[in-house]
Amino acid sequence: QDPIVIKFSHVVAPDTPKGKGAERFKELAEKATGGKVKVEVYPNSQLYKDKEELEALQLGAVQMLAPSLAKFGPLGAKEFEVFDLPYIFPNKTVLRRVTEGPIGKQLFQKLESKGIIGLAYWDNGFKVMSANKPLIKPEDMKGLKMRIQSSKVLDAQMRALGALPQVMAFSEVYQALQTGVVDGTENPPSNMYTQKMHEVQKHATLTDHGYLGYAVIVNKKFWDGLPADVRTALEGAMKEATTFANDIAQSENDTSMAQMKASGKTAFHEQTKEEREAWMKALLPVHKDAESRVGKDLIQAIYKEAEAAGFKM
Amino acid sequence: MNGAIIFGLLITLMLTGMPISIALGLTVLSFLFFLTQVPIDAVALKLFTGIEKFEIMAIPFFILAGNFLTHGGVARRMINFATSMVGHWHGGLGLAGVMACALFAAVSGSSPATVVAIGSIILPAMVKQGFPKRFGAGIVTTSGALGILIPPSIVMVMYCVAVTGHPQAPSIGQMFLAGVVPGLMMATMLGITTWTRARRNGYPRMPRATFGERWAAFRESFWGLLLIVVVMGGIYSGVFTPTEAAAMAAVYAFVVAVFVYKDMTLRQVPKVLLDSASMSAMLLYIITNAVLFSFLMTSEQIPQTMAAWIIEQQMGVWVFLLVVNIVLLAAGNFMEPSSIVLILAPILFPVAMKLGIDPVHFGILIIVNMEVGMCHPPVGLNLYVASGITKMGITELTVAVWPWLLTMLVFLAMVTYIPAISLWFPRLIGVM
Amino acid sequence: MKILDRLEETLIASLMAAATLVIFVAVVHRYLSGIPAVQDYVLHWNLAWAQELCIYMFVWMAKFGAAYGVRTGIHVGVDVVINRLDRGPRHAFVLFGLLAGALFTGVVGTLGANFVWHMADTEQVSADLELPMWIVYLAVPCGSYLMCFRFLQVAWSFLRSGELPHHDHAHVDGIDPVEAAKEGGPA
Ligand code: NA
Ligand code: NA
Repeated sequence: QDPIVIKFSHVVAPDTPKGKGAERFKELAEKATGGKVKVEVYPNSQLYKDKEELEALQLGAVQMLAPSLAKFGPLGAKEFEVFDLPYIFPNKTVLRRVTEGPIGKQLFQKLESKGIIGLAYWDNGFKVMSANKPLIKPEDMKGLKMRIQSSKVLDAQMRALGALPQVMAFSEVYQALQTGVVDGTENPPSNMYTQKMHEVQKHATLTDHGYLGYAVIVNKKFWDGLPADVRTALEGAMKEATTFANDIAQSENDTSMAQMKASGKTAFHEQTKEEREAWMKALLPVHKDAESRVGKDLIQAIYKEAEAAGFKM
Repeated sequence: MNGAIIFGLLITLMLTGMPISIALGLTVLSFLFFLTQVPIDAVALKLFTGIEKFEIMAIPFFILAGNFLTHGGVARRMINFATSMVGHWHGGLGLAGVMACALFAAVSGSSPATVVAIGSIILPAMVKQGFPKRFGAGIVTTSGALGILIPPSIVMVMYCVAVTGHPQAPSIGQMFLAGVVPGLMMATMLGITTWTRARRNGYPRMPRATFGERWAAFRESFWGLLLIVVVMGGIYSGVFTPTEAAAMAAVYAFVVAVFVYKDMTLRQVPKVLLDSASMSAMLLYIITNAVLFSFLMTSEQIPQTMAAWIIEQQMGVWVFLLVVNIVLLAAGNFMEPSSIVLILAPILFPVAMKLGIDPVHFGILIIVNMEVGMCHPPVGLNLYVASGITKMGITELTVAVWPWLLTMLVFLAMVTYIPAISLWFPRLIGVM
Repeated sequence: MKILDRLEETLIASLMAAATLVIFVAVVHRYLSGIPAVQDYVLHWNLAWAQELCIYMFVWMAKFGAAYGVRTGIHVGVDVVINRLDRGPRHAFVLFGLLAGALFTGVVGTLGANFVWHMADTEQVSADLELPMWIVYLAVPCGSYLMCFRFLQVAWSFLRSGELPHHDHAHVDGIDPVEAAKEGGPA
């Protein structure tokens, strides 16, 4: 009997945390189902690009994806824009409470009406803000042309800092920074390092202001049509792959940061408590503005999780 | 097996003479319909998203800019400038034609457009001076090909689009900068061929221009030449991304044509817009269908299988590049450059990368190859354009271009086996 | 029919001009934002949608321009083989090619219409402009059906007259080679 084929398509290189996570899931899933399921991983947008993969999943042309969370807004699930809000997760503990708790589940439920089932949240990491001048105070951002990925919240975030956001494809960022088409950008350390952006940015501040993450999703019709035992086996494999992917993301961020610091090409600035508070003060109004889009209740619910973990928002 | 079916179907459909874009699309449709489980709705999606990329939009902008320049008297002023500089040497106007083509190539992204712009003015003038028609036609047909080697270049944009997604894919900016040195070298070699032949045959020379005349000719052509600075300077200095530079070039060329040189009236603008839109749409339509085709290839794992097979043959880089040149030159007999690059680059590129060939060097090699293809029959757009201008038959023209075509083939061999020609300059200024 | 032709031409020429203007304005805006004197006035203009709008305008231009291209014969094919055939078989191949074009564009138009129909049921919007995606994708069915119609039109007139529209790549409006040489060419 032919195995069930899962086409798992993603838009990054195989050696990134997401790429390795996908490969890991392939191994685990094929083993756990005893070969009843075959997972084909297509990295680097080979099959579908960033802008079309969600439609392709809904059509059933691919079965599994791991798009960044910002992609669900345009799909009609604006609630997911909450992940882009600056300083919404004071640290990883709060993030986990959200993604692994009831809030994460509720968010995934919003996708079901769109023919999508959410299986897991995968980290990329917390972001560093970089430019060619020191970014100590929020006012230092004024007038800078900052590259962002397409997102209403990130656009508002940069504007709140007085910067001019520029939407630009990830693959173009290095050259744009090198030539000066844009002045700076924000990235988790591993992305900054693999794209060699530290070579073309003189300064960076460890702001941890924003979070970049992915959701692993499957086509609902396909998922519901699987035999129950296969589905359970795949869920188990996904759980294990998620732990693996998140651990790798953390360790890659750590080693990337160490290597960028060692290269000496970018001066990394650690914030003092006062500096961080100043940035938070400048950026928290973005939460208020986002209420009409993502919902006040959702933001409040995340604040509650933060408070439960010991943070006052 | 599937690869054979796909290519067999494509070639059969193409040989019936239908538009290449339709042949590509029908191949994909029939394959998806009969032989796979990929939902056919994905075709509609791909037909939209295939060109939904800002980098690709450089193509329509460069076409628009080029059309404003062709109509706006820029070419004529460049010819005058070139003539004042080199017209007194052996080859006279012919040598000026090579230089004018190189200058115009630096503002236009297309080869046939360069042939039209320079050829339609300089060829009649050469005949009037007593040059044999063949001599001028040979020069313009081949020098016009510089249009896609000297940046900006639409075919370079196509190459970047075709290999996009591969981790080693080069950027448009890198390709443009890499084209500068090979472009100047090829112009020089074509110039030497022209000079030698003119000297042997005692063709007419012009009186040497005085410094004042040269300065006047330079000042006249200044606004056109400044576009080189806008495009290349703009991209290199970071003022613009390549697509933005193309859009700025279009606006600039419009202003120069209508308000500075005043060789064009506002009433002619809609026609230029329409022609540019139509030409762009044709190219974008090929891109969409080629993207669809390469999607089919990838989902059937054909480039991967082929790469593995070629690696298994233990073919060295030297042999592989020879094979690539032969395949591309053969393809140049049937198709125009955009289709060749869009169909073959996604297949050849992964293999080249596995063999450790530099992505930019590989791109320049393909571009030079395309230039050769445009100048020889049975399909060679430059040749047809030149035939339209000179009213010479294709066979007669084919004989006429031989000396310069041989020069180009020698240059192709040099570019293929001396990567430094392509890589020295971009490395020098630090973009790679 | 004349009206349809004009509409088609006006649409694609206007899209070309508009897209150029949009990018021009966006670039100028970016540079004004870097000048401290005017920064405060221009920073709050949000032109983040410029790229997306440009892309969508060009996609629409491409779909309708492709239909216009059928009418003017700009789409290139490999005709070296059939050009060597006798008139009869050659005509048969040309007709086959035109009908294949009509078939492909007709099928794609239908697939596109189906896709748009499903899309209209969703709340999908574009990332920057937040336009409903089904409207954006409407370019595929509309453009393809128009193209299909153009293929049939050309096939019909070819059947009756044996003539095909032909795009002359060597022709430049307003430049008559001989005149150009007399006027400004170096003599
Ligand atoms: Na050029
Ligand atoms: Na050829």
